Order: sequence, then structure tokens, then C-alpha cells
Amino acid sequence: MVAPAVYAPTTGRRCRGSGAFIGSGFAQFPPVTQDEEVPVPDSESGRLPPVLVVDDNRDNIAIMRDYLRVRGYPVTVAYDGNEALRMFRETKPSIVLLDVMMPGKSGWEVCRLIREASANGGDEVRIIMVTALDQWEDKRQALLDGADDYLEKPFGLSDLAAAVERNVAQLGGPG
Amino acid sequence: MTGPVLLVDTSDPAVAEAAALLDIGEVRKVASRELSGAIAEGGGTFAVITTTDNPNALRDIVTAARSRRVPVIVGASGETLRRRAVEVRPDDWYRSPAPADEIAARVRAAVVRSYGLQSEDSDRAEVNERQVALYDSLTGLPTLPVMIERCRQLVKERGELEVIYLSFMRYTKLEEIYGWEKLDSVLETTASSVQHVLRESNIPTTQLMVSYTNDDEFVVFHVPEQGEDAASDTDVTRLAAALQKEVGERIEQAHGEDIAALFDVYVGRSHVHYNPKVRLQRLIYRGIREAANAARSVEERERARRIAELRTVIRDGLVYVDYHPIVHAETGSVYGYEALARGMVRSLRSPEVMFDIAARADLLWELGRMCRQKALERMDEVTRDSELLFINVDPHDFADPQFDEASLRAADPRRVVIEITERTAIKDYPRMRERLQSFRDSGFRFAVDDAGSGYAGLGSIANLEPDFIKLDMSLIHGIDGNFIKQNLVETMVRFANEQGAMVIAEGVESEAEYETVRRLGVHLVQGFYLNENKD
Repeated sequence: MVAPAVYAPTTGRRCRGSGAFIGSGFAQFPPVTQDEEVPVPDSESGRLPPVLVVDDNRDNIAIMRDYLRVRGYPVTVAYDGNEALRMFRETKPSIVLLDVMMPGKSGWEVCRLIREASANGGDEVRIIMVTALDQWEDKRQALLDGADDYLEKPFGLSDLAAAVERNVAQLGGPG
Repeated sequence: MTGPVLLVDTSDPAVAEAAALLDIGEVRKVASRELSGAIAEGGGTFAVITTTDNPNALRDIVTAARSRRVPVIVGASGETLRRRAVEVRPDDWYRSPAPADEIAARVRAAVVRSYGLQSEDSDRAEVNERQVALYDSLTGLPTLPVMIERCRQLVKERGELEVIYLSFMRYTKLEEIYGWEKLDSVLETTASSVQHVLRESNIPTTQLMVSYTNDDEFVVFHVPEQGEDAASDTDVTRLAAALQKEVGERIEQAHGEDIAALFDVYVGRSHVHYNPKVRLQRLIYRGIREAANAARSVEERERARRIAELRTVIRDGLVYVDYHPIVHAETGSVYGYEALARGMVRSLRSPEVMFDIAARADLLWELGRMCRQKALERMDEVTRDSELLFINVDPHDFADPQFDEASLRAADPRRVVIEITERTAIKDYPRMRERLQSFRDSGFRFAVDDAGSGYAGLGSIANLEPDFIKLDMSLIHGIDGNFIKQNLVETMVRFANEQGAMVIAEGVESEAEYETVRRLGVHLVQGFYLNENKD
């Protein structure tokens, strides 16, 4: 039985208190385990699904990677679109966190290609776009490209955890 | 030195024939469970073909082959095995049984790809791109360049080639209404059932291949068997009928009646004579164009016939009206009904098809008038007390001089809601609002139908000041697992609450979808889930 997903609206929410914001250019490495206590999601095998983090900003990647690793997720990273596609094929992640603004292939293009690959009988994957989708049309486009969720920049680390967890809860579910 | 060996676990003669086509000297047959061991022993293994239905054996085979860098091709019979096969990511797969030349081509492609990987590991992305360009990722069918390469030799030998062109109608419409996920899965069903029909067909052939060129077109190449005549017109007509029937049935089984109603296939054919002076590609592309034109002319004739049918429908009032319940999301009690007119003539059963043909024949106003009248005729029978009746009005209808408040003969206009679709662009908003106002003054209310289907967002909806906002089905389908859809619906609900409108979720098909829209604050719900669960 998959636990029901708890939906947290992703717009207009900021994680005050943790002090760490990603995407605003002043990200500091936070002591993640001490000042935030979010439960690690259960999974029957005791192993958490692999996550691929894609961003061209190395600082952002380092923060996200370390934070998710501390929580027990196997994390791989990629710094551009082509590398993301390669890592996707090699590591077969269940969750992809995908920055939109990247040199070369944009996050949208990568999203589309990953979705095509998974539609072609690949393993289930949930794609979280890391971007602000303010406009209705942005979100429509995101749906057309095959995204499942988005995380608005700048975000706090608890927002990151919440986004990953609610998508993990959907894995193995219908669809 | 020993030649290359093809390791297999099947005695399918097509596999042996494929090996011959590939010039592989030795085909070694091993039991499925021992195949991984045989791979590990090494020694000139060219490729591995397995048709095992044992998932553990399959996994072992793929793992062993990957470590030795030997390409694995899986022959899968049936959908379960296919899914299981792609899960372990073999280098390629085919639907078994398959003709020898297809198996050979799959092996060749897999070998080329795996050598590509060995030589330039860093360019895997590019290799993958090439692979995507050769095979359609959705249907697994080869693309045209691949097909042409494959039949080049045969066409030279036999001197002729038959091109059969299949055009599936209204697949774009389907995407518009239900969203791309739906079209993707309908295409998968289509591709596999087309292949099935072709295999069963009695066209004498050595070569029947399907390629996927566009979202609604498939091309079949048919090289007649030595000494046999090419498929006759009767054969092709029979094939068209079989496709119409069987593919239609499969789509109805898998995706329901409403989607099957949009299904239509037109078949055209052309004959290509090999001419050594002309590039084969060009000959074939010309052949495809001719076959496409032939399909189109069949389509034209068919359309003319349907327009004639539509005229009869309008003249004799041959429509019946379905009333679909709209219920309160919280209580499940009936709030009203949407009237949907369907043609009594079989080919015009689907409202989408009927209105599509009316639009092409310039009969929208006439059809609209009749459908509205029919819907309102039975209002007293269908609705009780304060229940509302929702009727569909095309934005074009507001330009109809005969369409006004008085023409809608409703006993109580306050119980009638006029649905206007967001899909048809409204060009003249001020004038439209003026027309709406006069209806409003008589008590009629308005709903924006298919809201959120376009990119226009909330602005165009606000312009119409609707009392109800009906969310587009594509936003509801699978909403329980998609947080972006949830976010969009939540935004729409908030917007509606500010505007004093009610939100209706249309196309609710499962309990999970129902629960999700209810949680997000959607006021009213409509869809199959209710029809199936109503007491």
C-alpha cells in the first residue's frame, strides 16, 4: 500500500528559519541535520529510491546532493543536459530534479527526452522541474513536456525534502 | 579461426533465417537457463537472441551479456513479456513472432549500437539520439530511412514495391480533448493492433513492414512474393475493412467508447516500379505521396457521404440526447445534467465527429439549433426541482441571427446553463459579452467549457464572467499523481471562488481522481466514475 501523498502547495511558500535558499545566489552550506527534522519516508525494502540532481550551478548541486544523501537517498548529479541524459540511462533514477536554465539542452528538452525514454517501457520516473512556474501557460507547457511536479526557486531545504517525499510516495502507484 | 556465433534459446525458424541473412555461420541453441553461462564462456559471440519467459533467466542473460559487451535482443510474445523485456533494457527487442528480416535488422542495429558504445564511450548520448531517430520511441516501429534500407535489396531483386498508406483520422482531436498521455497510449494500441491485423491478413508477401511517420500516419511496405501478384485492390479494400473493425475494437476495449468513436482509418496504395536510373529513396517517397493522396481521396468521398448523412439528420431531427449527471463533490447529490446530442446515424454517434463534419460543411448553426431544441424538449422529464440543465453552445452560434433568448424555449431560464467552449477562439470579446448580457438578463447562466485546455490562462475566462468553470479533461486525467495538475486546479478553484463561480471537474474516471479534486475544493463533478457508481 502506498501512503497517500500529502500535497503541499508549492507556490508562495518559503522555508523561513532554515536560512538556506537555493537559487537566490547566496546559498550557504547549512548544517542540515541539526536545524531541520523531517522524517525520512518509509519504504518496504528500507532503501530509498535513487535521485538524479541536474543543475549547472555546482554550489546548488553540492547543497542538494549532500542534503538528500544525509536523508538516505542515493544521489547522482549532472551539470548539463547531455550529462543528465547519460546519467539517467546509467543510474536509472526514480526521481529527477531538473533545473530549467542550463546551457546547451534546456531542462524542458531534457524532461521531454527522459519522458520519452520512460514511456518506451523504461522504469517509472518522476520529474520535478526546479523553476518558478508563475504563469498558467508555463504550467501547461510543463505538463506537455511530461513533468510531474515543480519546485520554485528560491527554495528552502525543507521544500526540497517535501517535494522529493511527495513524489516518492507516488512511486509504484497508478499511472 | 571460428566465425561469429549467434547464441539463441529458441528454435524459431525465423531466427535461423535471420542468421542466414546476417551471414552468421553458426547458430548455437542453448536452454534459456544456461544462456548466461554460455555468454560468460565467451568466444566470438556476435549477439544473443532470447525468447525466454522466465524473468530471472532474462535478467541473468542481460547481465552476463552486458559484462561481455555482447548485444542482447529479446523476442517478446505478448504485452506482459514485452514490458518485462524492456524493463531489463536489452539492446533491442521485437514482437515475436516476427519475420526473419525484422529480426535480422534488430540484430544488426543492436550490434552497430553496441560497437558504437565500445569505440566511443563518451558519445553515448549521440548513439542514443541516433537510435531514437531510427525507431519511434513510442511504438518501437522503425522509421522510414530504416525501412528503405531494409527493403533496398528485395526491391532490386523483385523489381516492384507496393506502398500502403494508413491515415488515422482525428488523432489530433483526441489529443486536444484528452491530452497527450491519452494519445500516446492510443497510438501504442494502434501500432500493436495494426501489426496484428497485418500478420493475419492474406496478402501474399515476403515483406510486410510498418513505419510510423507522423502522429496519425503509418506506412506499410509490401514486396510481393516471387511469382505472386501484388496485393489486389480487393485485398487492400479488405485490409482497410479489417483495420477499421479490429483496430477500432481494440481501441474501444482499451480506451472506451468515446475514444473509439473518434477512430477512423483511411487506406491508400500505390505501386513503385524499380528503376535503376532513379534513386530508390526518391521512388519510394514518391510512392508514399501517391498512396497518401489516394487515402485522401477516399477520405474526401467518405466525407461527402457523411455530409449527406448529416443533412438527413438535420432535416429529420435524427439526434437523441444523453443527459450526464453533474453532482456535488462533497455530497454526491445531483446538481444538474449536461445534455449531449448524438446522431442516430451510426457514423455520427460521436458529438465531436458530428460537429466536426458540420463545421466543415458549414452546417453548424442548423445542427446547433436542432440539438438545443431537442435538449430542452425533455428538460421537465429529466430534471427535478432546482436541478439545472447544461447545454452546449458553440461560440459561432452567437453569430446566428436565429439564436436568441426567445429561441431557447425554456420554462425557467434560471435553470439553464449555456456552456461555451474555450477551445474555439473568441475573436470579438466586446460583442460576445454584449450577446451574453442579453441572455443573462433573461436569467440564463453561463459556463466556460474545457477551461484550461488552451494556453490562454485565466484572463480569457474572466472576460466571460462565467457562473461555472468546467475544467478541461486533460487536467483531470491522472490528477491524483501529478502535482502540477493539482496546482493548476487549485489555482482555478481559488480564482473561481474570487469570481463567485463554481468549478466543475469533467472526465472524472477513478476514485483517486474524485478524491483529489474534492480535496482541492472543486465544487461539482462529472464523469464515468459517477455513472459507474451511481445507485
